[in-house]
Amino acid sequence: MNRKRTARIPKQSHESGAAMLIAIFALMLVSAIAIALVVSSGTDSSLAGNYRTAASAYYGARAGLEEARGRLLWKNRDYINIANAYPNLMSAAGVPTWGLTQVLYILNPAPGESVDPTGTNPANYPDTEYGQEFPWGLGGAAIQTSLQSVSPLGTLPGPSYKWVRINAVTEQALNLDVNGDGVLDRVAPLAYDPANLNSSNQPAPSLIVPGVPASPTAVQALEITALAVAPNGGHRLLQYVVAPLIISPDRLDQNFPAALTLDGNSVGFQTPGTSSYLINGLNGACPSAPPAAPVPVPAIGYINPGDYAAISAEVAPDIANYPGAPVSTSPTCTATTPSLTNLNLGANPILRQSWLTPAALDSVMQDIQNSADVVINGPATSAQIVSQAPAMSPSNPMTVVVNGNLRLNGRGFMGYGLLLVTGALSYDPDATWNGVVLVVGQGVFVSSGSGSGGITGAVFVAQTRDAAGNLLASMGPSCFGSVSGCGTLGSGHGHGFGSGYGSNPGYGINYSSSAVGSAQGPVSYKVLSFREIPLAN
Amino acid sequence: MDRSAAKSAGFTILELVLAMAIFLVVCAAMFGLLQVSQQRYSSESQLSGSFQEARLGIDQIVRDVNVSGYPPVGMFSNPSSAASYALSPFAWDPGYTSNSPCQVGTTCGSPNQFDLIVETDFGNGVSWVRYQLIGTTLYRTVVPKSVGADPVAATSSPSAMTPFVENVMNNVSEPLLGQIKAQYPAMFPTGPVPLFQYTCSTPSGPQPCGNAAAANHNSPKDISDVDVTLVVKTPYRDMQTQSLRLMELTARGHRSNPAS
Repeated sequence: MNRKRTARIPKQSHESGAAMLIAIFALMLVSAIAIALVVSSGTDSSLAGNYRTAASAYYGARAGLEEARGRLLWKNRDYINIANAYPNLMSAAGVPTWGLTQVLYILNPAPGESVDPTGTNPANYPDTEYGQEFPWGLGGAAIQTSLQSVSPLGTLPGPSYKWVRINAVTEQALNLDVNGDGVLDRVAPLAYDPANLNSSNQPAPSLIVPGVPASPTAVQALEITALAVAPNGGHRLLQYVVAPLIISPDRLDQNFPAALTLDGNSVGFQTPGTSSYLINGLNGACPSAPPAAPVPVPAIGYINPGDYAAISAEVAPDIANYPGAPVSTSPTCTATTPSLTNLNLGANPILRQSWLTPAALDSVMQDIQNSADVVINGPATSAQIVSQAPAMSPSNPMTVVVNGNLRLNGRGFMGYGLLLVTGALSYDPDATWNGVVLVVGQGVFVSSGSGSGGITGAVFVAQTRDAAGNLLASMGPSCFGSVSGCGTLGSGHGHGFGSGYGSNPGYGINYSSSAVGSAQGPVSYKVLSFREIPLAN
Repeated sequence: MDRSAAKSAGFTILELVLAMAIFLVVCAAMFGLLQVSQQRYSSESQLSGSFQEARLGIDQIVRDVNVSGYPPVGMFSNPSSAASYALSPFAWDPGYTSNSPCQVGTTCGSPNQFDLIVETDFGNGVSWVRYQLIGTTLYRTVVPKSVGADPVAATSSPSAMTPFVENVMNNVSEPLLGQIKAQYPAMFPTGPVPLFQYTCSTPSGPQPCGNAAAANHNSPKDISDVDVTLVVKTPYRDMQTQSLRLMELTARGHRSNPAS
């Protein structure tokens, strides 16, 4: 008995670990099930994460395209040619002059990362697309010193794009037969001609293969390509074709065709008839007429021959107040007075076709509105322009659009740039505008009150819409003059300053190609097309 | 003899019964858990499979809308054929062949809430890409654009139509609609859920194409954005609750090419 009892004691101590083993085994089983549960519910969140990645790469690449498009504009703070760093890429006027093989990259590496699109290291995001579009590949390209992105702000990471490439573009690069000649040209950089006409002589702004001589209104088109790679791998390659948007109605150059252009049929026109008031197209050409004098333009341009008699009769008492082209320089500088010109003469009129029909002109105005610095809903006065465009100055002309009526007033008010008014413009000569004034829509420009200001630059008046805002089938009777003279169009727009011109109606309109030029530089880069380039990965 | 018998004395009956009882209780609990987990896993993998399919579908729709209208007519000074450019980012019916656009939301047969035809070029010429919800299947049809052809007729050949996303619940009929509405009142506040909703660009800014403010600016050429809402059901009911399982994905495509 005693032996049995003593024998059981050591056995008990040998078996005491079994419970723990069983417990551990059970715990492992439970843990395995728990892990399986966690894993299966985690599938959902990783799927959502993948989607986020693809979308963020897309928007990252869009951000790259937009950064490059913005930085092509001369008035951008981060303009690529800000200190004339790339004189061979951009002209002094801010228009692209890219050579066929010239390539500029904007790089946007993440912190600690190296981006080299021109290399072959797959880790540095090489640009494999250029060689697909241009047979000489990056080896034959004139690669300019790369710029860095301005997207990252302080410690905040910027968008996920890696590089953006800007270059000239050809038919072969786009794989599009632009001129329909059956050949994909590989050496002619494509241009964009806003004054292009189709085979039925209708306005059809489009890409063109520049001919010889080049169309005077054509501007170079550029290709912008952006690669974005999201942190966990989504690649997207997007491409724009863009062209500078230069607002000009002249078919022959990028200036304005007259100091005052009355676009329309049966237009209204009244003058104040005071000696201080001039509509002057001389552009500084007379009286000194230096050899390289700026080109003068007509004082008043019209498009309907039937309107000539009324305009001519109105200016007849003071023909010397309407000087302009043509100017003879020998023996002395003599301007034509009154200088009146039909801008819609012949098969190829001076005024672009796209400024001669309401629908086409309306789309030009839409372009201006889309690229405006400031859009104000009327009725408005100069005070709104001052408050919404405080940075406007001679060196920083702005594009201001007023949707509706504007009272341009205010003693000492100076505006610079492009002013588009879609309603009636009621002008008080206390105010001055330097640049271009477009009154397109209701097409009413009335003056009332007195002052010493005027318009230095050019004025363009056209009626494209009826009073209800519907587009007209043909140009309507626009009006430039006094409140009473413009009849129902002018009624109510004098703001209590009388129905006629004031006793001192200001200096009038003084055409200035420099004011016009500074106002119209490229107002933006128009997106002509957008596509996504499929990637293998 | 005595020594060995003492060594293999084993557990008492009480110990064994107790141990087995505990083991059985633990096992029963674990197998119960395992079964729940397996059902859960099977339902969730169905859900994630459907989610994956729907996500790929909606992603493709948005990509196609984003590049709609490429290349616009403005890329050609003299197009060699009318098929070399996109007449409009979104083709329409009726009136396409005569280039007389219909009005979205009223006179358009396509685009409508369940039908959209994108015109774009993927690198091999302009194509018509049609998304069409028939019953519970969303079809994607890609055909090359051809001059004089009607886009709806060209994309209606059953051989060209590819089932793209299955079990799409946006436009189901009764009695299924009633069941879904009862179970997902927030997803189906009224009746069927539009697959495509359109925003038009108007002089007064972007407006839903059906709004009065978009009058005269609601042709397919005016569409600037397409909101896509895809409601997808899993192939089988939930194994635990036997209820329908639906998910709703939304995304927005934005046209970037200018309308011709």
